[in-house]
Amino acid sequence: MHNTEAKERVSMQLHYDLSQHYYQEASLLQDGEYEAWFETMVAKDIHYWMPVVERRYAKDKRPAPTPDDMAIYNDDYDEMKQRVGRLATGAVWMEDPMSSVRYLITNIQAFHTAKEDEFVVLSNFATIRHRGQLERSEHVGGRQDLVRRVGGGFQLARRKVTLDARVTEDKNLYIFF
Amino acid sequence: MIDMNELVDIEKSTQSKRVFWDQEIYDQELERIFGRCWLFLSHESQLKNKGDFITTKMGEDSVIVVRHTDGSLKAFINSCTHRGNSVCTADSGNTRSFVCNYHGWVYGTDGALVDVPLKEKCYHDEIDMTTMSLPSIRVESYRGFVFGCFDDNAPNLVDFLGDWGWYLDTWMVGAGEGAELIGPPLKSILKCNWKVPAENFVGDGYHVGWTHASALEMLGGELGGLAGNRANMPFDELGIQVTTRHGHGFGVIDHAGVGIHEKRDGFAKFLQETQPKVAEKLGQPRAELYDGHWNCTTFPNCSFLYGTNIFKVWHPRGPHEIEVWSWVIVHKDMDDATKKEIVKQAVRSFGTAGTLESDDGDNMVNSTRNNRGPHTRKNTMDSRMGAGYEGPHPEYPGIVGSSFIGETSYRGFYRFYQEIMSAESWDEIRAKDSQWDDCFTNKDYWKDRLAAKAQGGEE
Repeated sequence: MHNTEAKERVSMQLHYDLSQHYYQEASLLQDGEYEAWFETMVAKDIHYWMPVVERRYAKDKRPAPTPDDMAIYNDDYDEMKQRVGRLATGAVWMEDPMSSVRYLITNIQAFHTAKEDEFVVLSNFATIRHRGQLERSEHVGGRQDLVRRVGGGFQLARRKVTLDARVTEDKNLYIFF
Repeated sequence: MIDMNELVDIEKSTQSKRVFWDQEIYDQELERIFGRCWLFLSHESQLKNKGDFITTKMGEDSVIVVRHTDGSLKAFINSCTHRGNSVCTADSGNTRSFVCNYHGWVYGTDGALVDVPLKEKCYHDEIDMTTMSLPSIRVESYRGFVFGCFDDNAPNLVDFLGDWGWYLDTWMVGAGEGAELIGPPLKSILKCNWKVPAENFVGDGYHVGWTHASALEMLGGELGGLAGNRANMPFDELGIQVTTRHGHGFGVIDHAGVGIHEKRDGFAKFLQETQPKVAEKLGQPRAELYDGHWNCTTFPNCSFLYGTNIFKVWHPRGPHEIEVWSWVIVHKDMDDATKKEIVKQAVRSFGTAGTLESDDGDNMVNSTRNNRGPHTRKNTMDSRMGAGYEGPHPEYPGIVGSSFIGETSYRGFYRFYQEIMSAESWDEIRAKDSQWDDCFTNKDYWKDRLAAKAQGGEE
């Protein structure tokens, strides 16, 4: 379901439009505008996935993880909606006072697919969270997205997030990547 | 020497805040607790074939667990007997041998040294390889759950679990073909003392409504009523809490097994269909616990939630930090679709990005970090809730508390913590086997309560 075949690279204009979309998305997420992000930028058929990647020897021929395997995130639309809804209950004690989360999105590469209105987009990210007085955590990884043109904008239909760290160095991951 | 009577006051149900902070206490824990208790290693479902291995930790020690060529499970310290480098650096896999990256020493799946490069020319063939095996660790399984122990004098695993095994059998044996764990484990760092989550899982039904208010509000279901502690509930009628010999313990919220699962049809059906089998095999008392939601700790650092089905180990990394490893519990004879959905739901609530997990972390970190202050550390922590409302029960072994919200299992956990930290050896602990529960003084609690209930029923 995440194996949509990427074809030729998109034009300079389309790359610009997609990049702007990604920066807008990062703005909403780092401003805590989760509901606005979810309602405008996430497609109803979303699959939002962060697999668990073990450290294995090169000779180990076991297949890479699939969405049927253990994963950190493995959400459909309704499940994501619950995560967003939880953050809006006003009862997430640890987020009051709020964390500051900064998103650095780079290395955006966009490709056409067999469908005219869908694109495979690769990007790298660093999210850095500061909390309280001295708390700091950082997550680095890559994203492989399927992005769909909808009206004048884009919506996310698949996102596979790969965290580079085997052991997540944070007390929790409630944010979106 | 550390005075354990000063650190844990059994009579007052208090613990010094130093137990979450002091390096010397932690060092003694590594020796006396992690060096002497059975520690969870793996599940046999992850080590099916000869040569299958996993790497894990016992306290701060890195260990390898492997299915040897004779079919038995072996565990040994992951450190070359030559200069100490790791002999295995993968999380898991299948192998015929472990080769050290440093000088190429080769060990078999029984830990025996089988090859030393240039042995003839450079050691002049004078190295006795039979004395250079990787240090081996006792390995025993309980219902497929594999544990290791550094102490040859420790009781065997079944006796270490004791009455706790009687309860574990409810879902490990009662329901059919038994349980297994789904991995690979999620791993994350939490900057807290290892006992904070261990005590939380052993007996903290109290925090559920408040800490997890936001998630319970969103999820609704059987536990939704607890959100924000708003509901007026007869807590003494909704479940029990139990502590057993060696500090193990758990709490059960009756009939709330699948309470945290959003998509639960398969699991709910499985529980419903198998409950009569539990009654048939093990009797009614355990069948009544079977469809409840369980929060549990196997002393010292292996915790799980049956119902939510997350299974965790808290690996200590110094007094102020742990590595959290999480698997998912499923039953072997569930259909694949049900297993997959349970994995998804368990991780959604108590995985690294779990909606409930994220509530707990902050509390656990701050409960540890505040003890940096020496004047803070002079104070004690309190676990008196429900003291006196607990005792031996006619149907359930151990000491049974009146409600799933109470601190009976906290008291049992720290009672044994004090005992094992004080004891010079397992012999000293064995000598107290018949008196371990003396500190729970209200021996007639259940007799009186059940009699009053029976009388009430007659009227």
